[in-house]
Amino acid sequence: MAIATRRLLALLLLAGSCALGAGAAQAHPHVWITATSELIYAPDGSITGVRHAWTFDDMFSTYALQGIETKTKGVYSREELSSLAQTNVESLKEFAYFTYAKADGRKEKFQEPVDYFLEYKDTALTLHFTLPLKTPVKPKELALEVFDPSYFIDFQLDDKDPIKLVGAPAACQLKIQRPNDGTANAQKLSEQNFMSGDNSNYGAMFANKVTVDCP
Amino acid sequence: MRLTSGFAGALTIGVAAAVVLLALDSAVHVLMAQNPFGGPRPSAEPQVGGIVGWLLSKQSEFYREMSSTIRAAKSDGSAVWALLVISFAYGIFHAAGPGHGKAVISSYLVANQETARRGIVLSFASALMQSLVAVVIVGICALLLNATARTMCGAEKVIEIVSYALIAAFGARLVWTKGGGFIRALQAPPPLPAMALAAAAPHDQGIHGHDHPHEHSPAHAHVAHHGREHRHDDHGHDHDHVHDEHCGHSHGPVPRELAGPGGWRRGFGTIFAVGLRPCSGAILVLVFALAQGMFWAGIAATLVMGLGTAITVATIAVLAVSAKDLARRLSGAREGGGALIMRGLEFGAAGLVLLLGVGLLFGYIAAERVTCL
Repeated sequence: MAIATRRLLALLLLAGSCALGAGAAQAHPHVWITATSELIYAPDGSITGVRHAWTFDDMFSTYALQGIETKTKGVYSREELSSLAQTNVESLKEFAYFTYAKADGRKEKFQEPVDYFLEYKDTALTLHFTLPLKTPVKPKELALEVFDPSYFIDFQLDDKDPIKLVGAPAACQLKIQRPNDGTANAQKLSEQNFMSGDNSNYGAMFANKVTVDCP
Repeated sequence: MRLTSGFAGALTIGVAAAVVLLALDSAVHVLMAQNPFGGPRPSAEPQVGGIVGWLLSKQSEFYREMSSTIRAAKSDGSAVWALLVISFAYGIFHAAGPGHGKAVISSYLVANQETARRGIVLSFASALMQSLVAVVIVGICALLLNATARTMCGAEKVIEIVSYALIAAFGARLVWTKGGGFIRALQAPPPLPAMALAAAAPHDQGIHGHDHPHEHSPAHAHVAHHGREHRHDDHGHDHDHVHDEHCGHSHGPVPRELAGPGGWRRGFGTIFAVGLRPCSGAILVLVFALAQGMFWAGIAATLVMGLGTAITVATIAVLAVSAKDLARRLSGAREGGGALIMRGLEFGAAGLVLLLGVGLLFGYIAAERVTCL
């Protein structure tokens, strides 16, 4: 009886964790973005915004281009893609542009994107857009994260020069943490967290974190 | 006995397929890595520990290999086989993630005292429907209307909401029915030990007649249910009344009301509610295949993906049913309260379906939501 009960408990636990864990579990990415970003500085050394260039994976690029009219098959001009770019930035608003900035630990807000356009090259779409900060900041430390909390989209910083500082004071130092280089261990989610369903910010462990220190 | 071996056979095939796939995974992986169609492997995988991280990285790999394989299949027909293998593997791994109605189907089975066999049928039917819905959406929107991704995604969103609402409604109905049984079990005076036995464990035996010898193995418990279903199928609706006369016990008539022909109709409801919502991944693959002029390959990939999904969902569903069967036998052996425990379990499972539906509908459960960019 004791053995049977234990077996039952084990089975129930297994079934339960499968059903619940699966029910509450998070998505895996369907879209991959290779990102490069620029931090834009005003002449006085304050940060005014972020300029992103996000390249979508082959499959999603093709999907996004579905139904877009073009003069030459397979060639998409910036003008032909303008309405799609518009849709993209409008949709991104709901997700806070997947861009999270903290100036000296304080969350910063962004305005609506400007200068946005799409580019099609080598079967991949690249979305360019600039996010101006609501108010320019001049922090000692700026932390910028790019990720999708629900991990529907996987953001990877480009291999070379993913982050550029445009017009930054010479003393500023840039540090980049990629989700996979071991520096983001603190954000590693344990199995327990996952099973307990506390995964509202699941995508955070795949976040790309950039910090800029300006003494 | 024939039925037992049939069921056991189906289960064995399903589980064996999953196990073999897991075992061969590394081999497949090496194959894909060397395969000219395999494309470059992701340079880095997220560092998530344990089974979950492993599942995530596996399905991501398979998924990413799909686009390059479809491209390759344009010029080299043999790449289609690679595509099917990848799609199947992706389906198996992917279904372990959110969505695909694992939780809903499993809870439904537990709430309704369903058989593992029916669980397998439901899993496969809903996975097939998911695949077909994806094909129909892309077929109509992209192929016929040449609609934009935005339009298609909008359609997906609407379907998603309908599906979640249906699951919630379905759960509400289950809670309503199961609540009655639970309350009756609560109100019933604690039965004598002998009564408890009569009420819980052998009531299958009493109902299904003497077609099968009664044995204490999980497989036979399924068979017992199975036999009952068929009797219902044969005899039609009026059978319920007969049962009510026969079994006016404290454990209530609920389980028998839900199995039988009406149960199949409800089962269809589950298939519909769960299967209505297509997988975003399948839609992406189909549109991509269409753009490459390989729509048929996309359809094949989607169907094979659905097969893989069904195997995972069915495995989990069978696990849930087995756990409940074990619970029934144990609680049946316990003094008093056995029926109460079972009705409570069913009520809880019904509640879970409702919670899942409501949670998905209002976004409390971050499922694989449709993200339109």
